[in-house]
Amino acid sequence: MHIDMNAYFASVEQQANPFLRNKPIGIIGKNEKRSVISAASYQAKQLGVKTAMSTWQAKNICPSIILYPGDPDKYKYVMNKFNNIFSEFTDKIEIFSIDESFLDITDTAEDYFGAIFLAQTIRERLKEELGDYITASIGISSNKLMSKLSSEKVKPNGITVTRPKNIKKVLFSSELEDLCGLGKNTKHKLNEMGIYNFEQLSKTPLWTLKKEFKSKGLWLYNSSNGIKNDADIEPENNSEQKSISNTNTMQIDTLDEKILKQNLSKLSEKTAYKLRSINATSKTLVLKIRFDDFSNFTHQITLNKGTNDGIIIFKNTWNMLSKKINNSKKIRQIGISAKSLLTGQCQQSIFKKDRKNESALNALDSLQKKYGKNTWKRALINSTQLSTVSSGFYHK
Amino acid sequence: MHEVINDPIDVMVSFTENKVIPKLFKWNKRNYKIETINLVHTKMEGKKKIFYFSVSDLTNYFKLKLDTDCLEWHLIELYTDG
Repeated sequence: MHIDMNAYFASVEQQANPFLRNKPIGIIGKNEKRSVISAASYQAKQLGVKTAMSTWQAKNICPSIILYPGDPDKYKYVMNKFNNIFSEFTDKIEIFSIDESFLDITDTAEDYFGAIFLAQTIRERLKEELGDYITASIGISSNKLMSKLSSEKVKPNGITVTRPKNIKKVLFSSELEDLCGLGKNTKHKLNEMGIYNFEQLSKTPLWTLKKEFKSKGLWLYNSSNGIKNDADIEPENNSEQKSISNTNTMQIDTLDEKILKQNLSKLSEKTAYKLRSINATSKTLVLKIRFDDFSNFTHQITLNKGTNDGIIIFKNTWNMLSKKINNSKKIRQIGISAKSLLTGQCQQSIFKKDRKNESALNALDSLQKKYGKNTWKRALINSTQLSTVSSGFYHK
Repeated sequence: MHEVINDPIDVMVSFTENKVIPKLFKWNKRNYKIETINLVHTKMEGKKKIFYFSVSDLTNYFKLKLDTDCLEWHLIELYTDG
């Protein structure tokens, strides 16, 4: 069973605030003017607003849209709450993303009739615990891939069952990119082979697909023929991570070194933390700059040895960025990509200072895991504030 | 209109079925009667557990914060239709 919460962030806000209900709303970041829509309500989607659209584009398409700042803590809390509800029905739960989960209900439901009854009970429990506005689409089938495809077809707030005998019928009425794990690149490659739909894909011999797609060929063959895969979903997601990227659009277009340093340091630490969390180091750092006229600059550097230390990432990317500051164009957005990832820890340094630094980072990572992302930051990120006291000013 | 505020408030609550339910609060010398509690969520701030109550009266939405460490209430968000 696949359960997908409908227009999740927007629904949570509409549940919390009744004055947002039945209105086109878009959930955005802190800065309204320079943010993107991270989720749109169904009312906004009907008017053409899409996820990842810039706020000015959304306003152009839908002038009545209400832009509302997101609250990640709230979404995480509600996610835990609905997954706790799911655990009342089965202990085999796979959280797929913040708003999607797979439930193995083979033992609990016994048959498809039981599965539908279970789905309806889950919906009632969601309503009881979370309210009327946080709803879910539920897809039931014999494997995860088909249950996800089924739930996508009954948005919002529907329940659908795809029995094994109907799998091909459902697949043949779907677009290639509707299948989770079949991304743009695979679709493009299939199109080049003259394959445009699942009917054509299912008739393509396995050896042809294996020749073109290697191990993914078997997954494509099985998926298009309704055969359960060992790696049921996300063959693309499961593949080894090739890079880690972070981008930040600044509050204002700027050439101010201090602001740029603060933003770059934040990005460097974020990238380094992600690298450490997958136990990897990176040897190639790519800096991406977008200027105020929307032109772009990209430059990369290859290090002598892999790193996952934020300060090393910062120093190297700052070397590249500082050369662009004299440019007459102001900087709007900066991004860092860490490539050439090597899994496994860095070789321990022979220098005591480096070893101390590594153990400090490990300790800080533990703190961050326990208390959240803003638990610590480098002094460089803090701006200087002057606060009044009776005797004058002091630095904060 | 959405406003972010962080004002301390006085709250009258009821204790029902092991739950704290805010009923009325006083802000800017005015009393606001809470008509519905729409959503309650929690967050950890270090070791402190913070409760957030998303509530509304007939014309406004309010987000109230209860700090369980010092048992202080704050009004942190206000949304008025129109």
